[in-house]
Amino acid sequence: MNGASMIVSNWRKALMPIALSVVLLFSACSSKEPSKYAATQKDTAGRNAPAAVSKNAEAGGDFNKFFPQGDAGFSRVFSQEKKGFAEAKLNKGGKNVAVLSISDTISLPAAAKKYERSTSKIGSYPLLDEAALKSTGVLVNNRYQVKVASRDPAFTGVDRKAWLQKFNLDGLSNLK
Amino acid sequence: MSKAIFELVDELPTGGLTVMSLNALDFAIPGQWQNIVGFDNTITAVTGTDDPEYLQAIGERAVALYNDRSEGYQTAMWLYNTVDSGSRLLGAAAMANKVGEKFSMLGFLGNITPKAETAQTIDLSVKLVAEIVAYCQINGIPGDSVGDFLAGLGDYGGESLMRMTALICFDGLIPLGPDFIGMVMDKMGGMSPDELAGNQTFKGIQDQIPGGDTGGQLGFITESFGSVSGWMSDFVSSRGLSPELLVGNLRNFVDVSDDKLDYLGAFLDVSTNYYVHTGTQTLARRLIERAAAEM
Repeated sequence: MNGASMIVSNWRKALMPIALSVVLLFSACSSKEPSKYAATQKDTAGRNAPAAVSKNAEAGGDFNKFFPQGDAGFSRVFSQEKKGFAEAKLNKGGKNVAVLSISDTISLPAAAKKYERSTSKIGSYPLLDEAALKSTGVLVNNRYQVKVASRDPAFTGVDRKAWLQKFNLDGLSNLK
Repeated sequence: MSKAIFELVDELPTGGLTVMSLNALDFAIPGQWQNIVGFDNTITAVTGTDDPEYLQAIGERAVALYNDRSEGYQTAMWLYNTVDSGSRLLGAAAMANKVGEKFSMLGFLGNITPKAETAQTIDLSVKLVAEIVAYCQINGIPGDSVGDFLAGLGDYGGESLMRMTALICFDGLIPLGPDFIGMVMDKMGGMSPDELAGNQTFKGIQDQIPGGDTGGQLGFITESFGSVSGWMSDFVSSRGLSPELLVGNLRNFVDVSDDKLDYLGAFLDVSTNYYVHTGTQTLARRLIERAAAEM
């Protein structure tokens, strides 16, 4: 090996660890941060993960008859019916303005617990308005959550409360 | 293990051939479809909230619901993926990165084979059935009557309506021509179960199609197509849709001559995955809608 190639070779040897650490640094920096949903994913995916919906949850179809009918230009279109959950859209002039839903909190106790913060009622049922979600709900029998959520700015909190009152809440409270 | 729903929604592309070809259909359903990508963005689009605590809580519930296999969401996602042959061939992902450039189909003609009419007919009708089955997996069978159920189907908007528009345009009008509805009805009516059994798209989702044996499934597919044929012909005629009009809009990003429509159909088939793209958006929206209502 002549002098020149030795210098090059030594130079390469010296450079290698630097290059390697640059590569490592780069890949370390570019590796994505774990998603904020990663923990939930880990807890709920896989064979032994708990079910998202309790096996004792009421069939969604049992809720349908307690929904209000459409009226005064509002049409009601049922849109989801799953175990423990039923939902209908409220449309006006072909546009979706709100969603109506009944869910069984047996699958999600925290949903029922939040009504402890309630300061008002419809009948005997605690009422809660969630401004961030433009959504208002009542809890029936400490179990069934009835909600109206706005999907159009013209559909206000007053409208939400009015439509909650159109549900057959007493009928729902007798659901066995 | 299958991918998490937040990853699937976060990874939806903002550009590329699928998005460009869907945007080219905006003229048919103006303003109906916005390409909303990203899980948190979708939560905000559905519920209107950008409050971090609500985003997290809704997101977590949606993730859990998706992961519960008995809830049907994963079956729906699988259906959308399986009937979408796009991006399986041709290194479509690489092509799709050339945003802003016009694609010349000439370079791909050698790699594309238009489907035979029978295969295209089956593809179209099987995709439609996949839509119906996926709808039921995602939404259940809402309401107490057939009328409620049909009303739900008729209430299609946004990305679901875009998916149906693309089905009519890219799998009907372009490859099969302006009379595709009657033609598909004729062909399906005269088809033997063996012919159906040999089709790849059918084989992919066969287990999920109601009807029992292949003969029964053929009946279900034919009836399903027949029951929405009226809606489809109204859609085509009320919007004045024609292959020429579509090609005119697609020319904004792909070079194609009028005598190569069958090649254009095949090109769109292998280079786009509009079913998965809009299907993921539909599924995410419904899931988030439910999560927000339940929490």
